[in-house]
Amino acid sequence: MADINTDLFETDVGKVQLRRGGTGDPLVYLHSAAGEGQGLTFLNELADRYSVYAPIFPGFNESEGIEQIDDMEDAVFHLLDLLERLELDAPNVVGLSLGGWMAAELATRYPDHLSSLVLINPAGLYIQGDPIKDIFGRSPAEMAKDLFADQSHPIAQMMHQMERTMADSGSLKDIPFELIEPQLKSMAAAARLAWNPYLHNPKLPKRLKRIKVPTLIVRAERDTLIPAAHARAYADEIAGAKLVEVPDAAHMISIEKPAELATVVTDFLSRVPEPA
Amino acid sequence: MRFFNFHLMPYPSLPDDYDGPAWVTCPNELFDPAVGQQVYNRYLDELIYSDELGFDGVCVNEHHQNAYGIMPSPNLMAAILARQTKNVKIAVVGNALPLYDPPTRVAEEYAMIDNISGGRLIAGFVVGGGPEYYSFSINPAFGREKFAEAHEIIMKAWTEPGPQEYIGKHYKLRILNTWPRPVQQPHPEVWIPGAGSIETMEFVAKHHYGYMGIPYFHIDIFDRTFKMFRDICEKEGYEYDPIQAGWLTPIYVAETDEEARKQYEEHFWYFIQRLLPGINVNPPGYTSLRSIQSMMKGIGTFAIALKTWEEVMDGHYVAIGSPSTVLEKLEADLERLGTGNLLGLFQLGTLPEHLTKRSLELFAKEVMPKLRKRFPDGRRMLSSSARVA
Repeated sequence: MADINTDLFETDVGKVQLRRGGTGDPLVYLHSAAGEGQGLTFLNELADRYSVYAPIFPGFNESEGIEQIDDMEDAVFHLLDLLERLELDAPNVVGLSLGGWMAAELATRYPDHLSSLVLINPAGLYIQGDPIKDIFGRSPAEMAKDLFADQSHPIAQMMHQMERTMADSGSLKDIPFELIEPQLKSMAAAARLAWNPYLHNPKLPKRLKRIKVPTLIVRAERDTLIPAAHARAYADEIAGAKLVEVPDAAHMISIEKPAELATVVTDFLSRVPEPA
Repeated sequence: MRFFNFHLMPYPSLPDDYDGPAWVTCPNELFDPAVGQQVYNRYLDELIYSDELGFDGVCVNEHHQNAYGIMPSPNLMAAILARQTKNVKIAVVGNALPLYDPPTRVAEEYAMIDNISGGRLIAGFVVGGGPEYYSFSINPAFGREKFAEAHEIIMKAWTEPGPQEYIGKHYKLRILNTWPRPVQQPHPEVWIPGAGSIETMEFVAKHHYGYMGIPYFHIDIFDRTFKMFRDICEKEGYEYDPIQAGWLTPIYVAETDEEARKQYEEHFWYFIQRLLPGINVNPPGYTSLRSIQSMMKGIGTFAIALKTWEEVMDGHYVAIGSPSTVLEKLEADLERLGTGNLLGLFQLGTLPEHLTKRSLELFAKEVMPKLRKRFPDGRRMLSSSARVA
């Protein structure tokens, strides 16, 4: 697998962490509200075929500038600035969950800035009767069950351990601050974009028809955080969009099934016609 | 030293078989209006009674969608108290500013209460508790920004001639011209309650307001909190005035120590075990990382973790006993904490009316006068902008 390196990259809102590597057509990965990126082998898999750019959004991890971003509109303008500075005219844009929503917002507003779109377990829509489960107030153990298909995954295990520690002491006090700090930062940044309306933009559905680029919707079959109706709605509203379901995977599919997901994405991208 | 009777107005009748949270998602089917119409009036009577007993003030506060305190609108209670009390200060501690849009509403209602009561309002402003951000779907990431803007709007409305304009990030008011204006000039005394967040203390110190320490922690945590507040005042360039700080604590007085515990304990545990669960949520972005890190040092002592009466006594979670015992305990704690206001929670959990009133009487007659002698009014160094008229 190709290497991925991390550096700090100057943007309109400050320095953000940027993971990049590989050669080939440019591909941008937008992470979920978990802020994943460090050690994400999914990126290395993709870097075998593409020039991969995985920016860490402001407020997540070490990236600066979240205080200048109040909503999804600001987020999209930040992404545009980032793409311009990286001189990426028309990258393939891949996003997971919150990142999938961001990618869809980018594609509706600035369809010429993309050559293809891959939305993996995307947030962004409200579907009556099929709500996205809460990410802002539930316990680590409950979340782990939605995020991972296999509860013995090390991150799922860590979340269950955190739950046990909290139950023992009635609080977070016995958990090292370094361990919960990234989580606190991720959720605080995500809340700015997604507290209310909760993880969706009411105006997005009617705008999806503006997306003209080849689009793939990936749905992890065991994603219990975002119901299947959301992936179907994206696939229905975006002209020509293809929907693929991946078995034995849950919400954090890019962490849990990196190789399988990379195959799905590269299979799709290899069939995307070259831009004219 | 000033003495206040602080009422949470708890819901006392959660069914025995309900063991869920008392906050946010506590099913509202559990609210029995027959209980409601009885306790609202009873609780008001208890506050009115403390006016007759010679307390300096009464306190009410704001919480939503919960059984811990069924007072979503403290201003309604304060309006009733403005008519039905004669001398006490009426401290609303406070209005959760980000929940009022536009916050002009707070300036209006507080000014009404101040007018009706003849200048007896203490105006409390709060960011709102963590649960409120879930209950009202307000974005916690902007809570403190909204609080700061709302505070500015209220102060402008009270102290600068209108009509004027306020164009902020969260509120845009083309014509700000609040009627009525408060009786107390330039504005009522301001109190801000806090649970130890550094941002809140810095805000209070900067404006020379009063800082009210939120209860249910070990006495050592209060000690640390008020020390931090004093240091922050010093960093602001002035010496802290005791009148700028208030300690909120449960108090129960009976004829003897034995009777006190016997009468009180079950009601205290109802409060701890039934009404506190769910209070402690910390929505994302609501508290800064540095404050979370600082507050985590105390969180293990939060009363919800209490298991035995010995722990309750060791941590001074309640000042309880005969008049002489309570006097002794409060003298020592007030000496240690250095606050110029004592905010007593006299009714707590399911404590019934006759015991609450008896405790208020014993406190007012046998404890309060001695504490007044022991802690005479100290310096009043509140800045002119926060002076009580």
